[in-house]
Amino acid sequence: MAVVEGAIIYSNLLVLLSIGLTITYITTGVPNFAQGSFAIFGSYTSLSFLYFLGIHPYYSLPISLIFGGFLGLIVYVSVLKPLIAREAKVVILMIATLAVDLILLGAIGAYSDYLSITTKKAAKKFIFTPYDFNLIGFPAIFIVSLITIVFMLLFLFLLLYKTKFGIALRASMENPALAETMGINIEYTRLFSWILSGALASVAGSLLPFRQEIVPATGAIIIVSIFASSIVGGLTSIYGALIGGYIIGISESLITFSLSSILGSGVLVYAKVVSLIMLVLTLIFIPKGVTSIKWRRLTRST
Amino acid sequence: MEEIDSEYLILTIALWFGFYAIVVLSLNIEYGYGGIPNFGRALAVLMGGVAVGGLINRILINIFNVTDGIIEASGTVKSIINSIIVKNPILGIIILLSSLGLAAILGWIVGALFILPSARLSEDYLAITLLAISEVTYLVLYYNVDIIGGYYGVSIPDVLAFIPGTKRIFVFTGILILIVFGCYIFIEKLLNSPYGRVLKAMRENELVAKAYGKNVMMLRVKTVALGSSIASLAGALYSFYSVNVITTSFSRVEWTFYPILMLILGGAGNNVGALLGAFTFVLTKVLLITYKFEITSILHLPFQAVWLEYILFGVVMLLILLFKPEGLIKEKPVFTKAVKKVVKTKQKQK
Repeated sequence: MAVVEGAIIYSNLLVLLSIGLTITYITTGVPNFAQGSFAIFGSYTSLSFLYFLGIHPYYSLPISLIFGGFLGLIVYVSVLKPLIAREAKVVILMIATLAVDLILLGAIGAYSDYLSITTKKAAKKFIFTPYDFNLIGFPAIFIVSLITIVFMLLFLFLLLYKTKFGIALRASMENPALAETMGINIEYTRLFSWILSGALASVAGSLLPFRQEIVPATGAIIIVSIFASSIVGGLTSIYGALIGGYIIGISESLITFSLSSILGSGVLVYAKVVSLIMLVLTLIFIPKGVTSIKWRRLTRST
Repeated sequence: MEEIDSEYLILTIALWFGFYAIVVLSLNIEYGYGGIPNFGRALAVLMGGVAVGGLINRILINIFNVTDGIIEASGTVKSIINSIIVKNPILGIIILLSSLGLAAILGWIVGALFILPSARLSEDYLAITLLAISEVTYLVLYYNVDIIGGYYGVSIPDVLAFIPGTKRIFVFTGILILIVFGCYIFIEKLLNSPYGRVLKAMRENELVAKAYGKNVMMLRVKTVALGSSIASLAGALYSFYSVNVITTSFSRVEWTFYPILMLILGGAGNNVGALLGAFTFVLTKVLLITYKFEITSILHLPFQAVWLEYILFGVVMLLILLFKPEGLIKEKPVFTKAVKKVVKTKQKQK
């Protein structure tokens, strides 16, 4: 049962991260290689508030959200916006996000050193599980991550389908050029998507230490699963990120766990390989993801 | 502060320049000329390590009838081989040449297989696929201890064991730079040809290239196979430098992202630019590492100077993309023989 709980918690976090990645891909056309480090930025934000002000990570989630949104804003305005204005190719934009990832890795690493020196506590490597507690018979992280997902989905639904801005956002996602001729400022939609992406990643990052140990380079490790989630679900659909997040998160945990029952515990270390293989197979056979499959057609032909 | 041995410093710079130069030149064929965003370059370099640590080692283990798993057996074989090489230099040379040949072949095969499934994808999906496949292979080789020793690694012979210890590294560096020069000449001639023109056509507009009858998919496969073959040499040479093969030496940051940075810094589409980019990067990195304690104390940094490496290189990368996207040296036209004739003719007319 604990394995299933863990799988769901992990999937919830992957969904937050992959939705951010997918949204920025749809509006800007570039997969963000720094998405993993965005999350770890959130992890260290919560750690800072815990160490300096004694604020519990669950209570600092709103703060993490704001900081993360600000990070997304900075990255878009200082890096992607000028490059897009220069009509840079997609590969150049991807390389730019790689550069951002390097900068974040260095900055987070430097900050972790500073944090260790200043507070005399572990910061280069840390975990939040000792701060967790039980709620209605479940670990609080299980409840909190589910609530976060529900709130996020509700927010997105209301935004995208019940507001003028949301309709404009969807229009610019569907066809930026046409949306622009209709008078929609796609600049605002891009900016918004990067703020949202940074915010969601940061929140996920604040919750991640409850599930696994965090070091400055953890972003480089989880980026693999984030990409797998977005792509398996379909990089051109927000629903895809939701579906993909659960497919990858649960597979990574449960498939590996199941295999270990058959092949021995040596298999457990291959969890990341499972998601990578699913990613590769998806890219090769259904590059647009599961949401691009015409399920109805399949049903009829059966 | 103790004096840094300037000889050692120059040697270190030359060594790393050598390894990275080969990789960056190979990347320039694919990305610089062909526009193929190979975000999985580390895989080919890793294959160089596999060729030496996994294949050559197994051949030697079989020849000498050594029992035990690859990890222990490689240590045993290393001792046996090294003691033979001391008296018979020819054996060391044979192993070196065989390893490079095997690395090139393995790199070619893996490179072709590596891109084959995704050669049709658009550039962003292609980049992600190549990165993902590279990561899968890396993780499998890291966790599986039976191929190249996983997280323990394996020993390999020191092919220059016949040279006195203090001089060995200089000879190795000389060989390395010689191979870099050879790769440069080969690639320069290769790309100043109709092949080079086709690659640039593919890079600029794939549809037009197709319209003119070029098989873009096969072009991609061949080009990545070639690039991987050359990059594998760097992996093999790096292994002999380490006298050890361990998967973690071949991470994507060190062997995919940094080479991309070097290529963009120096100038994609220009082999001299690629080399200049590699040199500039290596010089900066080695100086940062060598003087990290001085830097930390002089600047009163509240953190280790090593983190500056990532920040600095990331910022440099962004600055190049924003303000000098063509790099330090711009790319030049492809000078095929026919083009050279025309140029010479016009010069004579003046």
